[in-house]
Amino acid sequence: MQALLFYALAAALLVSAGLVVTSRNIFHAALWLAVALFVVAALYVMLGAYFLAAIQVLIYIGAVVVLAIFVINLTRTVVGAPVTLARRWVIPAALVSALTACLIAVALAKSELPGGPAPDTGGVDWTSALGRHLLGDYVIPFELVSVLLLAALIAAIAIVGKDREDEK
Amino acid sequence: MNLLAPVTLTHYLVLAALLFCIGIYGAVSRKNAIGILMALELVFNAVNLTFVAAGRFRPAPDAVGQLFALFVIAAAAAESVLGLAIILAIYRRRVVVNADEMDLMKY
Repeated sequence: MQALLFYALAAALLVSAGLVVTSRNIFHAALWLAVALFVVAALYVMLGAYFLAAIQVLIYIGAVVVLAIFVINLTRTVVGAPVTLARRWVIPAALVSALTACLIAVALAKSELPGGPAPDTGGVDWTSALGRHLLGDYVIPFELVSVLLLAALIAAIAIVGKDREDEK
Repeated sequence: MNLLAPVTLTHYLVLAALLFCIGIYGAVSRKNAIGILMALELVFNAVNLTFVAAGRFRPAPDAVGQLFALFVIAAAAAESVLGLAIILAIYRRRVVVNADEMDLMKY
C-alpha cells in the first residue's frame, strides 16, 4: 500500500517538475512549482517528517512561490506571452542533465546502501527531537541562520529600495 | 518489478536524483531569470529529500537529516529573496528579465 502511494507521489513529482522546467508560460511554471513542492511535502509525511512537511508548505508554497508570482506580475511584459525557451540551449542543457544523472548513478552504484524498509522507530516524536537538536548541539548554526536571514532582509531592502531614490 | 515491495532508501535516492537532474536541465535551458530561480528550487528540494530519506533509513534513525533540510530551506529562502530582488532591480532599470540580456557587467 505504502509502495503504491510512493510510486503515485513519485510520478506526480516528476511530471510536475518536468512541467516547471518546460512550460512555455512562466506563470504556469510557477503554479506547477507549487504542485511539485506540495508533493515533496507529502513525501516528507511518508518519511515521518511532519514538522518539515509543515515548514515546506509554509515557507516554500506560502512564501517562495508567492514571492515568485509577485515578481512575475511586477515584470509584466512576460505574463500571458509565452516565454520562449532558449532553443539553442536545449541540447546542451539535456547533456548537462544527463551527465549529472550518470555521475549520481555511478555514486549510487558504488555506495553500500541499507536495503529493506525503513527501520521501525516505535513512534518517535521527530519534532521534539528536532527542537532539542536546534537548541542543543546545533545552536550555533541555528543562530547563524537567523543572522543570514536578517542579512538577506536588509540586502533585499537595499537592492530594491535604492532604485526608487534614483528615479526621483 | 514488484510494485508492492517495501520502499527502500534507493527508491528515494533515485527519485531525488531524477528531480535534481530535471532542476539542472531547467536552470541551464531557461532564458527567463525567474524560471532559473524556480528550477533551482527544484534542485534544493531534491537535496532536501535526500537528507530526510537518508536520516530516516539509517540503522538508528535520528533527526539530523531533517535538521540539515531545515537549514537548506532557510538558505534557499534567503537565496530566493535576494535573487528576486536583484531581478526586480534590473527590470526597473533596464526592462529585461532574460538572463542572456543581463550583460551590463560583461564588457
